[in-house]
Parts: sequence; structure tokens; C-alpha cells
Amino acid sequence: MPPSADLLPGTLDLLILKAVSLGPAHGYGVLLRIGQISGGALEIEQGALYPALFRLERQALLSAEWGVSENNRRAKFYSLTAAGRKRLRQETAGWERLVNAMGCALKTRPKEV
Amino acid sequence: MLRPLRNVWRALRHRTQWETDLDDELRSHVEHRTMDLMRAGVSPQEAERRARLEFGSRDAYKDECRHSYGLQWFEGIWQDVRYALRALRRSPGFTAVAVLSLALGVGANTAVFGVIDALVLRPLPVKSPERLTFVEPTTHSYPAYRDLRDRNTTFSQLFAYRASPIGLGADESTARVWGYLASGNYFDALGIQPFIGRLFHPADDAAPGASPIAVLSYECWRSRFNADPSITGREIRLNNHPYSIIGVAPIGFHGVENIYFPDVWVPMSMQAEIEERPWLEERSTKDCEVAGRLKPGVTPLQAEANLRAIASDVARQYPQTESGVDVRLTKLGLLGQTLRRPLEAFSLGVILLSALVFLAACANLASLVAARAADRGFELAIRVSIGAARSRIVRQLATEACVIALAGGVAGCLLADFILRALGSIASEEIPIRVDTHLNLIVLLFAFAAVTIAALLFGIAPVRQAFAASPSGTLRAGSQGAGLLRAHRWPVREILLSAQVALCCVLVTACFVSVQGARRAFQMPVGIDPQNVAVSGFDLGLARYSPATGESFQRRALDAASRIPGVTAAAFADSFPLGIDQSTNAVYGPRETDFRSSNAIGTSHYNVSPGFFAAIGTHLLEGRDFDWHDNRTTPRVAIVNRAFARKVLGSEHAAGLYYFGFGGKTMRIQVVGMVEDGKYQSLTEDPRPALFTPMLQQYNGTTYLLARSARPAQAVAREMEAAIRTLDRRLPQYSVGPLAHLLALAYLQARAAAWCLSAFGILAVMLAITGIYGLTAYTVSRRVREIGIRIAIGAQPRQVIGAVLGRMGVIVGAGALTGIAGGVVSATILAHVVAQAVPGDPLVLGGVAATMILTALISCWAPARRAISIDPLTALRSE
Repeated sequence: MPPSADLLPGTLDLLILKAVSLGPAHGYGVLLRIGQISGGALEIEQGALYPALFRLERQALLSAEWGVSENNRRAKFYSLTAAGRKRLRQETAGWERLVNAMGCALKTRPKEV
Repeated sequence: MLRPLRNVWRALRHRTQWETDLDDELRSHVEHRTMDLMRAGVSPQEAERRARLEFGSRDAYKDECRHSYGLQWFEGIWQDVRYALRALRRSPGFTAVAVLSLALGVGANTAVFGVIDALVLRPLPVKSPERLTFVEPTTHSYPAYRDLRDRNTTFSQLFAYRASPIGLGADESTARVWGYLASGNYFDALGIQPFIGRLFHPADDAAPGASPIAVLSYECWRSRFNADPSITGREIRLNNHPYSIIGVAPIGFHGVENIYFPDVWVPMSMQAEIEERPWLEERSTKDCEVAGRLKPGVTPLQAEANLRAIASDVARQYPQTESGVDVRLTKLGLLGQTLRRPLEAFSLGVILLSALVFLAACANLASLVAARAADRGFELAIRVSIGAARSRIVRQLATEACVIALAGGVAGCLLADFILRALGSIASEEIPIRVDTHLNLIVLLFAFAAVTIAALLFGIAPVRQAFAASPSGTLRAGSQGAGLLRAHRWPVREILLSAQVALCCVLVTACFVSVQGARRAFQMPVGIDPQNVAVSGFDLGLARYSPATGESFQRRALDAASRIPGVTAAAFADSFPLGIDQSTNAVYGPRETDFRSSNAIGTSHYNVSPGFFAAIGTHLLEGRDFDWHDNRTTPRVAIVNRAFARKVLGSEHAAGLYYFGFGGKTMRIQVVGMVEDGKYQSLTEDPRPALFTPMLQQYNGTTYLLARSARPAQAVAREMEAAIRTLDRRLPQYSVGPLAHLLALAYLQARAAAWCLSAFGILAVMLAITGIYGLTAYTVSRRVREIGIRIAIGAQPRQVIGAVLGRMGVIVGAGALTGIAGGVVSATILAHVVAQAVPGDPLVLGGVAATMILTALISCWAPARRAISIDPLTALRSE
């Protein structure tokens, strides 16, 4: 099992948007997909996913529809709205800037100052 | 931007659905996880357990979901309401007084509005009532109506109707009901569709006596025919003639007068069968009301000009009978202006007074709430200092105000509903007049508006308080101090109390004036002595007696009444002064030569038997009473009152003089006696001529048997009823009881005004007592320490009371003086409401002053006692 990393505040929303952008999914599907795409490195309590989903739905970044899952059960499927796609782009860009900046900052050696 | 809002709105609307969906979604998650675990080889039970465990606290996440979906708002409000309820429970006295004040204020006003709505505001339940109009004068002759109907170009329908008592016989029994004779186009003009069967139309009203058909009112059908669904075609007897029921009018339809509720409608062509004397072809009998529906696009002014032109043509054609008819169009619903004008004036007066009660209640609440807010300054300051947002505190205070307003409003509506039900159930047996009062949407809207205004008025103080709450100042001053607040709050509260006392004083003045007015009205000489007189009424016409058999029946009934033990005088008449049936008769003076209707003088007219004046208690001033020899074989004679002598005969004496009856030259009638003046149609009328003629010379089947005795009139009336029943078992009797009760309608306005204003006065005094008490008690509790010191350094009780209550005395005194002045000024309003109102009456002013002093004493008593019994040691130690 790979070492797990704590989620930074705000990153869960971004992960959800990313996961849903790969195709409509229900809550459990989103969870699995996050595990998959993060290589199992990011762990959250399963229930914590839902307040975030509702928040994104309320912000109209996600839209939801009831349907039938691959296991033949009723489930609520989330998909990305246009606004959600835009937000994902922005947040991804922002995240990359942050990672670069942090990366540079943390690699700095004493003599470079 | 709109979408999130729409989502929340949808969720609010489908809140339960939303909750089920949330449940389903979370359950679906756990099920999927369970299946995955089972696929990995975990046993079903263990898989489910682990799935649940991994999910975490379901309820907490559900809460978070609600929150992140924007539904926490709901929970927040509920929290505020619970907090407000807790806060109000902590001060039950304040809550009770506040809710009670509001309930009284809102209840009184809603009830008053409900009555006014039923009396003058509510449109008739017919098709587009705004296009209907009444044609003044109050009554027309039927030929004149036909002229107006056939010659006008401005009405799509012009219809005529007349209210008439009818003996309704079904199966074995006969009951006297009230009905309308109505022209054939009546229902068409009103746009009424039948509930059952059909209504009548112009074809049913074509030939005299040809259409013995009747339409029942919905209520009559329910109460007298057990809502029989196969009622059409059934035969009933109306005044002993067979009629067949053709239909039932719809629910709620009760003709075209706001307060009249007839049981049955019959085509006007049946007039001769229903009433004893045919008058449909007579221009001299003006007995039908006329109203109509304007053609589209025609204004009332155009229609009025049109009808006036026709009326003046008719007057030129028939100067004897139709001259001097002043046609005007007025609002339908209350017999034109005849009833509408006094009722509107009455309504205006009462609504103004009840608005004062409402203001007094609001002032009371506002000063209570202000005092409470000052007390809570400390609590609010603590909450602000530990970081509560001001907006949050305002929200909570506003919620508290809303809770009080809601409770007061609901209690007020219940009170109003109770009052209105009580009023609505007052139905007179004498005449089908009813005020159809109930809480309807309009009345409830009114109550809601009243509550909202009240909540705004008394809710502002605490909100200002919240913004004024400065933690450092208030906390430093300590719970007793709140120095900053004292400087601001006192004057406002004092002004409010003063205003309240002034309003109370105006209402108490009104109350005293009205009670005094009613007392005067009851003591006013009315020309009869109704005490100890028993009455029973019956209508021989309704039972199809012929004049000959009817006359002998009247005589036998009179003999039977005279034989009742204790009866000292008995007589009969076709009506009596201040009763419900009043007829008028036009006469001409002895020197009149031009017998046209505009020269005639209207008089109140009664057909009476010998002994009538002795029985009813009217003094004969000169001449003689009728005797049994004044009958059809002797010359016609009359007895008149003094006003008749002055106005018609032009003399102070009447006996031996002559006047001309409505027939003109051929109707020369001798006056044989003169009686004192009385009141005939209303207590407020000016002296009017009255004419009494012998029933033996002019038979009328409508009979009131009157008996004077020393015994209780109620018992005598019952015996009289029984005696008449032995003479004719099937003759319906009505108006059985003491004469004083039957005059109730005449005294109704004075009595209603006295009741209603007394209620307002009592309400106002109650509000004033709670207001003064609240403020005084508050002052004393605030100044316990100061009073303690005063007592400790040797102040006498009188000095303590002076110090504590002196200012209160000034406030109340100033309010009372303003109020008395206001009360006297409001005389013009009261004059509409109360007959005989004399606002400057020293008795009234003295009574008001005494009431106010008593009110102040009662309300200050307990706080004053508390002030002088303060123990300095305890008071000073308590800090």
C-alpha cells in the first residue's frame, strides 16, 4: 500500500471536478475514480465526499440526475456543467502555479538566496 | 446566478423529497461498497459492517450536506424561534400582557372590520355587481316601473322587486317566511344560475295570476325541505294558494340587499295572490323597489339622465300620482341611500374608534417592549462582547417580535371569529335581516395587515436597542445602571404612555357619551308605554281569511285576550309605533284644492281597534277614542297626533276638523280626537304627523293583538298565543312576546353603539392599566437602591411615593387632559354613532375624570406598596 497523503483544504473539490470530468459518475464511482487517479495515495472518509458534491451541485458546477448504476441499483449520477469545466481549468492552472512555486521554493539551496 | 437560487427554491418546495433523495443516495453508496467488498470475498454481514464503518457518521454528513446545499437557513430560523420561545417563557408576565394587548387590539378591529365588510363593503354575490345600480326613490309604482323599463335605452335589464311576508305551507304546517315578489327579468339581470331546477324568466311573469311558481333560497331548501334533491315540481302552499317549486337559488345568493335574506321568490305577476290588495296597475301605490344593470359602455350619469327624462314625461302624463318623483341612481345593496348613508356614517365612526383602541394597544406594546429591551441591555451587551453579530441579535429580537405578533394575531383572529359568529347568529324572527359575518379572506387579510403594522410599531424599539448596545458602557454601569440607556429610553417610553393614556381617555369619553346617549334614548318619551304590554301577531291574509271572516276572527281573538286574567286593556292594530312594519299614508290639508301627489303630506298610518290607545299607553289629549260603532256603516273618522294637527290641519286642536285622504276631494274625513306625539319610524326622527283610523272601517288582515296587564308580559303573551291557537290551530303566529322586546330594533342603534363603545372603553382601560402598571413597576424595580437609600436616611412613605410616582402622575395627567380634550372634539364623530350624544355633559366629563383617576390608582397601587415596603438593608446588600 502506497503511503497516503493528507488532503490540502480545497483540493477535494478539485479532485471531484477532475474525477467527474472523466465521465458522469455516482458518488461511490467518484470515490473509486479518485482512488484510481491518485494511485490510492489520497484517502478521505467516504461520507465526507457528499457535502462536497452537494456544495458543487449548489454552485452549479455539477449537475445531477438519477439513474441506474452498473450494479443495477438506483444511484445519483453527477456530470460536469459548462461552468464546472471552466472552473476545473482555472483551478488546475492555479494548482500548477502553486505546485511550481512551492517546488521552486522548497528546492532552493542556501547559496541561491 | 439564477440557477443556484432556483435549486434552493426547488429544494425548499420539495423538502421532504430532498431528504428522501439524500437518504437514498447515501444508502446507495453503502450498498455499492458492500457489493464491492463481497466481490473481494468478504462475507455479506462483514461487508455491510465495514461499508458502514468506512462511510463515517451518517447523520453528521447529512447535516453537512444540508448546510452545503444552503438549507441551514431553515435550521437557523427554527433555532431562532426556539430561542425566542425560551426567552418569552422566561418572562411570562410580559408575554401574557403583550399577546393579550395585541389579541384585544387585533380582535376588536378585525371584528369591526368584519361587520363593516358584511354591511357595506362586500359586493353582492351576483355577476359583475359593479354594473348594477339602484333607482331612487326607494319605492316606485309598478306602472311607473314599467314605463322606466320599456322606455329606457341605457339599461340591459331594469327589474322590480318587493319584500313580502308569505305564509309557506308544506305538508301540515304553515310558517311565516319572507319572500321577494320579483319581475321576470330579475334572475337574468343578476346573472344567477340555479342550484337545482330552473329560475323564472320574463315569460313566467307575463300574465297576472298565471304563474304559480316559486324559487327557494338555498338555505330555505336546506332547513325547511331537508335539502330534498327531487324538490322541483313539488307543490307548496303560499298564502294557501298552491304553487309549484321550479328550482333552488345557488348557495349564498340572497337577493340584492346586503342584510336581507329571503326564503322564496315568486314572479311579480302573482302579486294579487300573495298580497291581499292588487296594486300592479295602480299608480298611487308605490310599493316596489327598482334596480337595473347598465348596458355595456353606459355611464351611471347617462343612465340617470335617461331615466329622469322618462320620469318627467310620466309625471306630465299623470300629475296626480307621479309628479315630484326624483329619480337618482345609487349603489345597490342597502335600499339605495336610505340605509347606506346612516350605515356608512356609523361604520366610519366605529372604525375610527376601534383604530384608536388599536393604537392604544400598540403604544402599550411598544412601551412594554422598550422597558424589556432596557432590561435586556445587559444580556445583549454580553452577547455583543462575546462576538455575536449585531445582525444576528437583530434577527433574534425580530423573531421574538414575530412570535408575539403571530400569537397575538392568531388569538385576535380567534376572538374576532368568536365575536363575528355571535353577531352572525343574531337573526331576527321578525324580519329576515341578518349580518352575514364570518372570517373571510378579506377580513383575514385585514387582520394580517393589522398585525404587521403592530409588529413594525413595537418591534422597532428592540432593534434600535440592539444597535445601541455598547458592551463597555453597559457592562461597566452594571445591571442596575445601564446609564446610557436611561438617557435615551425614558422620554420615548413616557411619551408612549402619555399617548396611550390620551387614547384611552378619548375612548372612555366615547364610552360614557354613548352610554349616556343610550340612557337618554331609553328614557325619551316615545308616545307609548311599552312596559307590561304583551303582543301576538298573526296575518289573516296569509291564511286566506276573507275580510268578513277575518273581521269576526279579530273580534273573537280580542275577546279571548280580554278574558286572560289580569288584562286591563286589550286591542288590535295592523302595526304599532316603532315596530317593524310601518306604513305611511299621504293626506291633504283641509284647504287643499290641487290634489297632486307632490302636494300630499306623508304621515305614519295605523289601523287600530277601539281601546288601542289605552292598551299601548298613548294619552288622548282631546276628543274621543274610536268605539265599535265606528264601522263601515258610519262616516269615516280618524284620530291624529299633535304634529298632524299642526302640520296638516294648521291648528293646535284637531277634534272636529277635517282632512282629505289620498283619494282627494271625495275622501273628506273627520278627525274625532287628538293624541300626544310619539316616535314612529325611528327614535331620532323629528316630530312627524301620525294618523290612526278604525280597523272596522278599513279591514287589514295583518293583526297585532296587544294586551296591557299588571302581570309579566311574557307570560300573558304565551297565554294569548295559546288562546289564539284554540281559535285556529293552523294560523301561524309571530312577534309573540313583550312589546318592549319587539321595539328592540328601534333601540338597536343606541344599544349597539352603547355596547360597542363600552367594549372599546373597557378595552382601553384594561390597556391603560397594564401600561401604567408596567411602567410604574419597572420604575420601582429600577430604583430599588435609590429608594432604599432614601428610606435609610429617613424619607417618609409619602415622600417616597412622591419621588417615585410624581413623574408618573405628570405623565398620566398630561395624557388624560389631552384625551378629554380629544374626546370632546370627537363629538362630531360620535354624533354619527350615538343618538342623543352630548359630549360636553358635565356628568360625562366627571365620569371620565373619575375613571381615569381610578385607573391610575389601581395600576399604581401594587408598585407603590412595593416602593414603601423596600427594606434599605436588603436593597443595598443585593448589589
